[in-house]
Amino acid sequence: MIELVDVVKRFGDFVAVDHVSLNIEKGEKIVIIGPSGSGKTTLLKMINFLQKMDSGRIMMEGEEVGYRRDKKGRLILEKPEIICRLRSEIGMVFQHFYLFPHMTALDNVMEGPVTVKKQSIKEAREIALDLLGKVGLLDKKDVYPAFLSGGQKQRVAIARALAMKPMLMLFDEPTSALDPELVGEVFNTIKALAEEGMTMLIVTHQMGFAREMADRVIFMDEGRFIFEGHSQDVFSDRMDNPRVKAFLDKVL
Amino acid sequence: MEIVICRLSAVITALSLSIIFLISPASILAQPDKYEVLAQATRLVNSGDLEGALVLYRQIPAPQENEEGGVFVRSRMEAAKIYFSMKRYDDSEQMCMEILRIYPDNLEAKNLIKQVATAQTPKWLGFLKDMQTYLPTLLRATVMTLILVIITMIVSPIAGLFIALGRISRVRFVSSIFWCYIWVFRGTPLLLQLFFIYYGLPPLGITLDPFTAAVLGLGLNYSAYLAEIIRGAIESIDPGQMEAAKSIGMTYWQAMRRIIVPQTYKRLMPPVGNEFIALIKDTALVSTIAMVELMRAADQIFNATFNIFILIQAAIIYLILTSIFTVSFKKLEDRLGVYENR
Repeated sequence: MIELVDVVKRFGDFVAVDHVSLNIEKGEKIVIIGPSGSGKTTLLKMINFLQKMDSGRIMMEGEEVGYRRDKKGRLILEKPEIICRLRSEIGMVFQHFYLFPHMTALDNVMEGPVTVKKQSIKEAREIALDLLGKVGLLDKKDVYPAFLSGGQKQRVAIARALAMKPMLMLFDEPTSALDPELVGEVFNTIKALAEEGMTMLIVTHQMGFAREMADRVIFMDEGRFIFEGHSQDVFSDRMDNPRVKAFLDKVL
Repeated sequence: MEIVICRLSAVITALSLSIIFLISPASILAQPDKYEVLAQATRLVNSGDLEGALVLYRQIPAPQENEEGGVFVRSRMEAAKIYFSMKRYDDSEQMCMEILRIYPDNLEAKNLIKQVATAQTPKWLGFLKDMQTYLPTLLRATVMTLILVIITMIVSPIAGLFIALGRISRVRFVSSIFWCYIWVFRGTPLLLQLFFIYYGLPPLGITLDPFTAAVLGLGLNYSAYLAEIIRGAIESIDPGQMEAAKSIGMTYWQAMRRIIVPQTYKRLMPPVGNEFIALIKDTALVSTIAMVELMRAADQIFNATFNIFILIQAAIIYLILTSIFTVSFKKLEDRLGVYENR
């Protein structure tokens, strides 16, 4: 469905993502693990065009999207309208939620359908109420984010992304900023979403995601995919990649 | 020959004397010494003997029925003035009253009585009276100050927002134009800008009335200040907010309008409130370009009365205005922050 081909991103001399290719099939759940600074978040942001890649290709349904090339072959982001349309098809959930603080939970979820998709308030409201019910926060619909717990904020953020009816959901360390006792509710929300067949790419330090819902686990380090495989392979005793082992020993 | 002339002049003198005697009013004939007394008194005044003069003046009796009273009025008036200069206000008033008893419409006497009353009231009471007299004028001028403040308060945040957005534009050319604007209008005195607009533009063929010039000067200047404040507020919003807005498919401008700028409102209140308080005081500067507002009105009245309390009164009006603004901005700030958990 979505494919990255030979993607590179540099920050000055530092290579954040180093010739990475990744194919995401419809309905697939991919979990990316790896130490901090290994380029996981940068990779996610490039899929959503929040980060411009330096070279490579992004394909959607077999077609290259999002970039043009100038005479020297350098990549140029497409016009904002095109980028915005592409982004609206990909949902993203951030480590720090980034809910809009000046809007209630309901307004946060309605914002995308109303402003971007130009849906009617009534229609958007129905969608939003439905999604808030799904993440179990219908009773918090008129509450401002500042009055929600971290776990509740993240569930509203998930509902906000889902309101755009994305074909792919990107999760950037969705539980890392949460108190340990709040991780479960967000985890369960994402798990329920996975069970509905949503295609998703999850960057996380929470091994539960990898173990319980990943079709594929990717270990990323220094901008490269070091290891790719089923979750059983990663967590089995047969795991022989020393870097993966060292990392797992630390986090588990 | 000489004898003839002498005789002739003697005859003429005799004739003219007899004519004067024939046509002169009976009063002069009856009391020929009235004029003499008046003249005598005047001589005493000139020689410095005021007491003596007063005695003489007061000797001149009130006119009888049908009698011409010019000398009497003159004498009492002179006496009243002398008493006034000696600060013997009761005597001065009494002299005036003597005139008014016979001639109730005598303006000179009436005026002097008024002066006596003013001279007898303490200075602070006079000042208080002035304050009361000129308060309506000051309040009318305050309305003009408020009009200037309100227009600037409406224009400058809107213009400031556009300048701020231009300033943070990624298009180099656009951002440098707005940088220049802010640089010029924040970096030069408002007074100079007002002078330039009002006195400097006419030679270039653009003549503005004081009001337009004042609004333009204040608007341009405050837009520049507010632009910098708004820019700071926009840049203080977590960049994650822009990312989140973009991630649901918003364009840059949609994100600005719906997500970023509304979040700045609350943060803007303290610095913008400060600016508007400064603005209330800065409107005083437009008094230099012939705008009649509170400061200029106070200045004009002060120059006419030398009453320091007029300035204090103007200061109090300014204080009331700034206090109202301070309180309302605090209220507004609290209300805009309802979404914050404190």
